[in-house]
Amino acid sequence: MKKLFFSTAVMVLAMIFIVACGGGEESAAEGDCSSEEVFCVGLVTDVGQIDDKSFNQSAWEGVQAAEAELGAQIDFVETKDATDYLANIDLFVEQNYDVIVTVGFALGEATAEAAAANPDIKFIGVDQFQVEPVGNLAGLIFNEDKAGYLAGALAAMLSDSGTIAAVLGTDLVPPVVAFKEGYEAGALSINPDINLISTYHPGGLDVAFTDPEWGASTAAQAMDQGADVIFGAGGITGNGALIEVAGSEGTFCIGVDTDQWETVPEAQPCLVSSAMKLITPGVLGLVTQAQEGSFPSGNFFGEVGLADFHEFDDQVSQDIKDTLSDIETGLGDGSISTGYSP
Amino acid sequence: MADPNPSDSRILRIWDSFKSRIPEIWSSISVPVVAVIISLLIGAIILLISGSNPLRAYGALLEGALGDAGGIRRTLEKATPLIFSGLAVAFAFKAGLFNIGAQGQLIFGALVASIVGFGISGIPAIIHVPLALIAGATAGALYGAIPGALRTFTGAHEVITTIMLNYIALNITDYLANGPLKDPTPGNIVARTPKIFDSAVIPDLPFIEWLPLGFVVACLMASITWWLLWRTTLGYEIRTVGQNPNAARYAGMRVAQTVILTMVISGLLAGLGGAVETQGIVYRFQPGFNVNLGFDGITIALLGKTSPFGVIPAALLVGAMRAGASQMQFRADVATEIIDVIQAIILFLVAADMIIRWIIRQRAAAGDGISLSSGWGSNS
Repeated sequence: MKKLFFSTAVMVLAMIFIVACGGGEESAAEGDCSSEEVFCVGLVTDVGQIDDKSFNQSAWEGVQAAEAELGAQIDFVETKDATDYLANIDLFVEQNYDVIVTVGFALGEATAEAAAANPDIKFIGVDQFQVEPVGNLAGLIFNEDKAGYLAGALAAMLSDSGTIAAVLGTDLVPPVVAFKEGYEAGALSINPDINLISTYHPGGLDVAFTDPEWGASTAAQAMDQGADVIFGAGGITGNGALIEVAGSEGTFCIGVDTDQWETVPEAQPCLVSSAMKLITPGVLGLVTQAQEGSFPSGNFFGEVGLADFHEFDDQVSQDIKDTLSDIETGLGDGSISTGYSP
Repeated sequence: MADPNPSDSRILRIWDSFKSRIPEIWSSISVPVVAVIISLLIGAIILLISGSNPLRAYGALLEGALGDAGGIRRTLEKATPLIFSGLAVAFAFKAGLFNIGAQGQLIFGALVASIVGFGISGIPAIIHVPLALIAGATAGALYGAIPGALRTFTGAHEVITTIMLNYIALNITDYLANGPLKDPTPGNIVARTPKIFDSAVIPDLPFIEWLPLGFVVACLMASITWWLLWRTTLGYEIRTVGQNPNAARYAGMRVAQTVILTMVISGLLAGLGGAVETQGIVYRFQPGFNVNLGFDGITIALLGKTSPFGVIPAALLVGAMRAGASQMQFRADVATEIIDVIQAIILFLVAADMIIRWIIRQRAAAGDGISLSSGWGSNS
């Protein structure tokens, strides 16, 4: 027993020593966000990491662009537990930040609550649809169905077999449903007889976007059934599908959200394009408007589109490119409808 | 009459008896305490290697968790569901049952409490709050009865069945929250139930802003669980079944009934935890909330040495680390994952000790046939 006491005491001392050695230097003094001159932008992620190569990262890059272009002072907090949304927003509120960006539809309620309580702070809610506009809150939302429509049209035009597939995160998340519906409508607009294999992840929110094995096996199954273009839309689950397709000769894959040529290099052998939500410029635009005093409220539609074809540029014929740009115009002016309504 | 000051001597006697128990107390808490210290130390080394200042990081963590009334409240709120799920796992453990299904029981409790919370209106809080709590606890109890019955009547091991039942619970509740029970508020696209009525929300205690009532309920349940285990016949039976089911059977105890009842009570505790979370924190059922609370119960139960009162400090420790994590990231720029690392090391050290003791006990018990805690497929 004495031995245990002793070793514990030694450990406590060692710990104090280490901690004390680590002490000393404090980080450089930061500007006071409550002053007029200092423009502070904070970001709260959804449950997940800031460098998720997807959603949170794109929004954070928009905030980082605000640092570079507008001289903003920036910081972020990663949410670990969904019950902490409001507490994490409050960390920035207490420091009198000027703009607070919250990422993901799940934070919508907490963001609206914080916006109502702090009318002097501008809030940007990425992917948060606003039913009743609040003056200091802008929802940055995207027509995922339009991005999906373009991806579906591209897939249908690239397919030789007449069978295409989509490997999707859960239908609990509305943007995923929008991507899927748009994808199918776009494909059918090119080829009404096309065979569509769309599969949602059967698990709950906690696993649906983080299950690359399921994504890979579902993609393999679709290829067995003759699919030669596969759309992966569902975070890391979708990435698993893309990487699986990359190992199979003569099959194309299409990524989602960001240009996945950059974020999932393993998928480059098959990645012809990605159905993008341009989150980064959307966030930067809204932050800029907040600084200029022309902050919009209600819903603000960010741009969507297909990513660059990169090395597949010569495999995508001019005909296909022309058709895609016609569709893009049509979707823009409303002459083409994706048929999706949330 | 020889003693001039009787009250002094009484205090002395109590002190003496306490002093004589110090080694015993120390031996029961030594492993977790040492584990926590080692883990914080390893955490500090990792922070140093990654270029952060551990003093600043732990300081911010402490400030976020206990720095003000809001911080303390956050810590207690985080600890509350962990106490419930920890109790659920610890209680089953006493009967030699490993309830991995606390997660499923907890989310069913959370869902059913929300249904009672938003489905019934016009009754006063004094009825509505306990009604929803009881409904949630009942849901958890019924869901816990399933693996108990499967264990008793078919011999299916509860570790396997509870893991599978977790998936079933997850998918059923996801479906309901995105289907028949989805919040019909215009413009709502999120999978979630409607908000519960104010009359179902667990009220705050007057004057004591930092103390959530749910935490008080959790501590009360810990006391009741302790009483049940150590002061009742049922508790004696449960512990006997856990230690040696053959002896229990020989002594005339109804082992089958005890196993089912243990799982029912274990599920009840988890379900009540889900209900308290719904009525005190989330105010509705929403997939994505309640994640891992049940699984964390295993951590808490092990860290608390499967004792009902050990569960409380274990939950407070983990709760405090979680409550302070955001503050630590915000003020000290330290990734919150360090909390998971520290927690994993604590669990590893505590569990390693338990595993070793468990093996010793199994060796001793080998040869005398089945034991409920003897693990995989060894059921007669």
